[in-house]
Amino acid sequence: MSEIVLSVEKVVKQFTGLRAVGGADGLSFSVRRGDFLGLIGPNGAGKSTTFNLISGVLKPTEGKVSLNGTDLSGLRAQEIAGMGLGRTFQTPRAFPSLGVLDNIMVGAQNPNEGPITALLGSWRGGDAKLRERAESSLERVGLIDRRHDLVANLSGGELRMLEVARQLIRAPRILLLDEPTAGVDPSLQVRLTGLLRDLHEAGTTLIVVEHNLTFLFDLADRIVVLQNGGLLAEGEPEAVRRDPVVVSAYLGSENEA
Amino acid sequence: MTFSSLILTTLTFGAMFSVLTLSLNLQYARGGMINFGTVAYFASGAYAYAIFTQDPPSGLDQYAFGLGLPWYVGFLAAGVASLLFALITGWPTLRLRGEYLALTTFAFAEVLHSFLLNERRIGNGSVGLSNVERPDPALIGVNDMLAYAIAAVALMLMTAFFFHRLLNSPFGRTVDAVHDDETAAQAIGKDGARIRLQVFVLSAIPIGFAGALYAMITTLVAPAMFTAELTFFVWIALALGGQKTILGAILGTLALVFFQEAVGAIPFESVRAAQIAASVEEVVTGILFIIVLRWQPWERFSRRTKA
Repeated sequence: MSEIVLSVEKVVKQFTGLRAVGGADGLSFSVRRGDFLGLIGPNGAGKSTTFNLISGVLKPTEGKVSLNGTDLSGLRAQEIAGMGLGRTFQTPRAFPSLGVLDNIMVGAQNPNEGPITALLGSWRGGDAKLRERAESSLERVGLIDRRHDLVANLSGGELRMLEVARQLIRAPRILLLDEPTAGVDPSLQVRLTGLLRDLHEAGTTLIVVEHNLTFLFDLADRIVVLQNGGLLAEGEPEAVRRDPVVVSAYLGSENEA
Repeated sequence: MTFSSLILTTLTFGAMFSVLTLSLNLQYARGGMINFGTVAYFASGAYAYAIFTQDPPSGLDQYAFGLGLPWYVGFLAAGVASLLFALITGWPTLRLRGEYLALTTFAFAEVLHSFLLNERRIGNGSVGLSNVERPDPALIGVNDMLAYAIAAVALMLMTAFFFHRLLNSPFGRTVDAVHDDETAAQAIGKDGARIRLQVFVLSAIPIGFAGALYAMITTLVAPAMFTAELTFFVWIALALGGQKTILGAILGTLALVFFQEAVGAIPFESVRAAQIAASVEEVVTGILFIIVLRWQPWERFSRRTKA
């Protein structure tokens, strides 16, 4: 087995009067390098909150999250992103002031984005290379024809793909996707499936929150099921699909999965 | 006042205040920061210029420092002073948002005003510094008014160019991303607070230069010249011109200065007439302001020019 890259240890997130994540004695799970983990559970189970806790948008009330053995407690979201963690949001978040291509280019780690470089004008060469990388990211998510568009003209599904492309240009070692197929049309979903397979094969660690279980169970190596902020079940997709506890709490009937 | 001197005065003060409007435009429209202490950066520049260029104290002077250096050293010092003041005030406050930042910057400006009023060793207290040195415009063979009009326009154009170059770059792209959605920007590794500080500090430099120019024109710096009224004057100019374009900010400021100068230039026969005119001016200013905000003529014009 490969090493653990992400570990969530007894994490509790308490909002005023509400235990959003943590269940009875804190949420714990870990992810190994190159894993493809599916995170599922009913609405309100704490999936997106878990993502926010991992990526540093929220800080745990108790417990800790570690990335490559580093405790993330004192780190800010941008520092965690700088450690090679990428994420998308449940509601797609594009930058409306920027065009489609710029929305992708801004995602890259760019040594030329300081104010001094701007004044010297020495960024043009680097930007041309960046543009090529951004175009190849857009190609991978099927948005290359929209590269000169405004983000205001993109549909909800396209905005999701835009966000994925913005992470792709950063080549994160661990990528968290929050409901990537929601509102995405079937042809783009097929492309997304292929893209996630490629990333998985290339060794990227993936954690995907998804309600489209056909899509997810087909791709993931392992599934974590959350309910009321706690861990309900964990295991390989087939085992989870048959787990009577999961069936009654979330799946409803075996056939739907 | 003749028509040509009205135009020259408008150009001088309009261009000089445009530098402030352009900086506010960068901070607010692109950086999302509300700076209600603009006058403090302007005052930093003016005082730094005066202190660096004036002669050492003598007689009844209460100030302690007069370095007697050439005007260009004072001019550079003005930019540096404004930059440093922006760094000191920006560092603790730029994690604040919206109205909190507005209140804090306002408070900093009041603190500086009070400090200059009461700490006489810096600026002679309420009397101010009146021995401000300035370059002799005769050196380039023109009269004072024309020379300072040219200098103000040059400073305005350089500021516009400086900001344009700063923003049409990967840095500008990151600034826009942070302004649009800071959480999403952090998810791609951008440090929002740091980028805001960079915008804040860089945009303060031209304000300091404008302060130095103001000190040269008036040959006097005193606390009464640097009140919150000046900050709101610049904000009104920005509102008039619209916040989206560089040209809008400039046109809004020029229009506001022209209007004030034009009304001030009307000759009156009696004191009573002048008093009535002063009241009418305020009423008309209000009405014009409403009309302009409703139809945004300069913003439209500058958009059309841009397109």
